[in-house]
Amino acid sequence: MTRLVDVPTQLDDRSFDQFTASFAEAAKDGERLLFDAHAAEWASPYGLVGLLVAGAAARHRSGGEPALLTAPTNAEVTSYWVRAGFFREAAELFEIHGRVPKGKPREESDVLLPVTAVRAAEDVHEVVSKIQQRASTILASELQLDPKATMGFAMALSEACQNIVEHAGVGGWVAVQSYNWRRKLARRVVVIAVGDAGVGFRHSLEPTQAKRFGDRWGDAAALEAALIQGVSRFRDPGRGQGLAGIRRYLARWDGKIAIRSGTARIAIVPKWDDDVPLKEGLPTFPGAQVLIIIPEQGSAKR
Amino acid sequence: MIQHIDVHSVLQESSAGVYTDLVTRPTGRVVREGIQRVCAAWGGAPAVARMDFNGVGCMDYSCADEIVARLVREWPAVLLLRNLTDGHREAIQPVLAAHGLAVLVELPDGALDVLGMAAAAVELFEQLVTQCLARRLPGGTFELIAP
Repeated sequence: MTRLVDVPTQLDDRSFDQFTASFAEAAKDGERLLFDAHAAEWASPYGLVGLLVAGAAARHRSGGEPALLTAPTNAEVTSYWVRAGFFREAAELFEIHGRVPKGKPREESDVLLPVTAVRAAEDVHEVVSKIQQRASTILASELQLDPKATMGFAMALSEACQNIVEHAGVGGWVAVQSYNWRRKLARRVVVIAVGDAGVGFRHSLEPTQAKRFGDRWGDAAALEAALIQGVSRFRDPGRGQGLAGIRRYLARWDGKIAIRSGTARIAIVPKWDDDVPLKEGLPTFPGAQVLIIIPEQGSAKR
Repeated sequence: MIQHIDVHSVLQESSAGVYTDLVTRPTGRVVREGIQRVCAAWGGAPAVARMDFNGVGCMDYSCADEIVARLVREWPAVLLLRNLTDGHREAIQPVLAAHGLAVLVELPDGALDVLGMAAAAVELFEQLVTQCLARRLPGGTFELIAP
C-alpha cells in the first residue's frame, strides 16, 4: 500500500507545516510514500530542501526503498526545479515519475547556490568558496549591502552548514537564492535554506541540557537553548559561537532566522515580519531546517 | 623575539593546497596544530608570535575560535596578528570578547590595535614594552619597534 503526501502548490516556509502534517500522517504506519507535487506552482529554497529531507527520512525508514515522487506537471516549474538543483539530489532519494527536462543546475542571477549536498567539512569549504564568487555582486548591487557584508554572509552560511556536519549525524542540503519578495516586503531578499534529516536539536543537546530544563525539556527548549542561549552539546567553552554569530550578522542587516526541529520552530523576528517567535506542537518532522532571510537594505536600518 | 607564522602557507600545507578559506572546525584544528608544529620546530612557543593572514580568504567563527582563541588560551606567547581583513576582524572580535580574551593587531604603519576585550590587552602591551618590542606613544597608543 502506498500513502500519499500532498505537496502544497506553493511550497515555502509558510505552507511547510501543511506539508509536514501530511508527511507525519502518511509516514506513521511505515507504508511506502508517494509525494505528490504534480500541482506545484512554486517552491522556495526552504521548500525544496524540506522535500529532500522528507525523501531522505522516508528512504531511511523503508530500509533503502525510495519513496515515489510525481514531478510538477507545469513545465516552467519543473524547469526551475532542475535549475535550482532539486532533481540532481532528488534522483538519489525518490523514484521520480513525470516529465523532468534534462539539464544541469545553474547558478544564474537568482539561484546563487543550487541545492547542494552537505555531508562533510569539505562540502562546507566548497559552498563558501562558490558563494563568495557569486554573492558579492548580488549582495552589493541588488540588496545594497555594504561590500563588507559579503564576508559576513559567507561566515553565516558556513556556520549554518556546519550544524549539519557537527550535529545532524547524517548529511543534508543547502540552497541560496535571491528573489523579489512582493508578498511581504516589496523588496529583494537573499534566502539561505539549510536542512537535514538527522537527530535534531533536542536529541543533540539532551545529554548536556535536559537536566537543566527539567520538565520543560523538549524540542522548543532545545531550540531556545541553542539559538537564544548559545549552548552547544560540546562542553568546550568555545562552542556555540556559530548561531550567536549568525544572530549578530542578522541583527546588523535586519535579517531573520527561523529554525524548525522536531515539533517546534523558533524565530528571531525582525520588524518587517509578522512571524511568531516560538511555535510548539507542530507535526513531527525529522532533523532540523534553518531559514535565513536578508532583505534589501533600502529603508531598513542597520 | 618575534616569530613569523604565515597562516596562508600553513592552511595550504594542511589542506594539500586546496583551501584558501579558514572555515569549519576540522580545518581550524589542523591549521592550529600546523602552527604549533611550526613553533615546536623553533623549540617551543616564542615570546611573541606574529601571525600573518595575508592571502587568507573568509574566516568563520569556528576557525576564529579553534585557531586564535585556543592559541590565546593555551599558549604563553603574545599573539600579534597582521594583514587582517574586515571580515577576519568580524570573526575574531566577538569570539575573543566572549571569552574575555584579547590579541594585538599590527597595523600597516606599525601601530598596535586590539581585538577582543580591551581590558585583557593591557597586560599584552606591558609584556611587549618590557621585552623592548614595543613602545608607548603620546596619547596612550603603542607601536612596534621590533622588526
